[in-house]
Amino acid sequence: MILDIKDLSVVYQTDMEVVHAVNSISLSMEQGETLGLVGETGAGKTTTALALMGLLPERTAKVTKGSIWFDGTDLLSLSERELQRVRGDKISMIFQDPMTALNPVLTVGDQIAEALLLHNVEGHSRKEIEARVEETLELVGIPKERKKDYPYQFSGGMRQRVVIAIALVCKPDLLIADEPTTALDVTIQAQILSMICDLQRKYKTSVIMITHDLGVVAETCDKVGIIYAGEVVEYGTLADIFEGDVHHPYTVGLFRSIPSLTGSARRLSPIEGLMPDPTALPEGCYFSPRCKQCMDICKKQKPKVYEKNGHQIRCHLYQQTGTAGEMEGSGGR
Amino acid sequence: MKDIMMDIRHLKKYFNTPAGKLHAVDDVSVSLERGKTLGVVGESGCGKSTLGRTILCLNEPTEGEILFYGREKGSYGANLVTATKKERKLLRPKLQMIFQDPYSSLNGRMTVSQLIAEPLLVNRICKNRAEVDEKVVEVMETVGLARRLAMAYPHELDGGRRQRIGIARALVLKPEFIVCDEPVSALDVSIQAQILNLLMDLQEERGLTYLFITHDLSVVRHISDTIMVMYLGKCVEMAPADEIFSNPLHPYTKALLAAIPIPSVDSCHKRRELLQGEVTSPINPKPGCRFAARCPHARESCRSAKVPFTERTSGHYVACCQ
Repeated sequence: MILDIKDLSVVYQTDMEVVHAVNSISLSMEQGETLGLVGETGAGKTTTALALMGLLPERTAKVTKGSIWFDGTDLLSLSERELQRVRGDKISMIFQDPMTALNPVLTVGDQIAEALLLHNVEGHSRKEIEARVEETLELVGIPKERKKDYPYQFSGGMRQRVVIAIALVCKPDLLIADEPTTALDVTIQAQILSMICDLQRKYKTSVIMITHDLGVVAETCDKVGIIYAGEVVEYGTLADIFEGDVHHPYTVGLFRSIPSLTGSARRLSPIEGLMPDPTALPEGCYFSPRCKQCMDICKKQKPKVYEKNGHQIRCHLYQQTGTAGEMEGSGGR
Repeated sequence: MKDIMMDIRHLKKYFNTPAGKLHAVDDVSVSLERGKTLGVVGESGCGKSTLGRTILCLNEPTEGEILFYGREKGSYGANLVTATKKERKLLRPKLQMIFQDPYSSLNGRMTVSQLIAEPLLVNRICKNRAEVDEKVVEVMETVGLARRLAMAYPHELDGGRRQRIGIARALVLKPEFIVCDEPVSALDVSIQAQILNLLMDLQEERGLTYLFITHDLSVVRHISDTIMVMYLGKCVEMAPADEIFSNPLHPYTKALLAAIPIPSVDSCHKRRELLQGEVTSPINPKPGCRFAARCPHARESCRSAKVPFTERTSGHYVACCQ
């Protein structure tokens, strides 16, 4: 197991209120796997990733409980200096918006070399580093002659390739991709996704793919976690989530909201209402105000996790009946 | 017989840039049927939004004709391109637009009711204040905005509700034609589905005609009757929605469809033929097919010949040399 997040909670504190962004998330992943984190805006996907990287904003954010075990060490117990050695070397991140993630006044070659220079434990010479920069650029499909160019000279898709080159140049064990293709067109998205998959296979990197697009998840991930209001409401293998018999009502709603490319339904059946306000989360199950199958117990008591062969669902529906079979037709898609 | 509401003929919009003429929309001809939806898809920079804005004369067209056949007398067969400012102003309430970004398209210093009343006041539709208020309340109900939000400011609301304000602003004038410029691309899927349902309900109720601009192919398939695929200012393929998905003819349309990630396990870890390269510049384009540089089937003739826009089967038009 390369990564094990246990019971992680993160809050953002301001003078006025406390935002409960991440509420007791537990996730784990094996070497070489791709874990997809799916959820809507404000579900806590990016906050989880930032907590992993130790990049949460210092003043406002606070990890209230939990631990993040990476390769045998608890990342939350490390000092800033120790963390700096891990960050960018062992764990790296592809940021969401390629337009703003790069420094406009440095050449892309310098920006890629920066990560190597900071983690230059083995004492490589400048020449070796330059060679590695050129090699990485070629790897992500940019001619090496362009390393002296500035970010503004690149298009969106090419900039995202540069961001990926920066993340991969130190050959990290864990790569966090935070909506890597959301800002890109479909044809470019397809290029970038297939590139990430190829590179992952080559280096045996573990990848956390953060996205709101279930199509992207289906094409890239091995395991999937569905996040709602800072909680993992459903977790399982790709087959569990996309073809399993039982699901969390939120997952069902999410799937029904996507217009189908093959079906002929003229009306979508979206989830009514909005995400709960993270400063005042409802009592009991966080999804209960929007849930069509809401019961009395859902409004009072937090649901526990129902588990079957590693497929976890956090919902009262399955605790009451105990078996999955009885829920077919109502819980399945 | 088809009930045509708008006829767009050889519409061109060029922008002057220091590097030369930018061909944003280049010779697009299309007819819009009343009560139907024309979906326009393409990648960023292909001229979709410019097309939408030019049809409403928010950008002055460089060349071409836009004939509008309104339901009322006087607006029948009006040519928007040659119309005077005054004539256009009279037609404006019939032709409305929903803008892309609900975060920046609303004035942050106006309340929801002021924002919705603004089009009524600008066009001097109502006789007195009471009538304005009545219409605002009515349209807020139609789009699903609670009455208690009338005094709220846009920053207090989420994206979905803001987009409903944008829709209310377009609807309050009782238009016949609405250009929807990526109305759902800034929203989450569950909210996106709510807005799509709303737009389709309104169309059914009021017989609205939509020009629906989007880059999301599953959305466009869901809402459109006819789909037009654009590439670098040109319409490369146009056909009924089902036809274009089941039988795409242009290599670009095929590549576009192949690039969509499909949310099912069957598609997992399987990559189809990928389109290489990126969109070339629309500034001073070379003659011949504009897709030739990325096209896997390009021949020498594609780079020089004029590309014909032909009807292959009934209602299915393609611009391809092969």
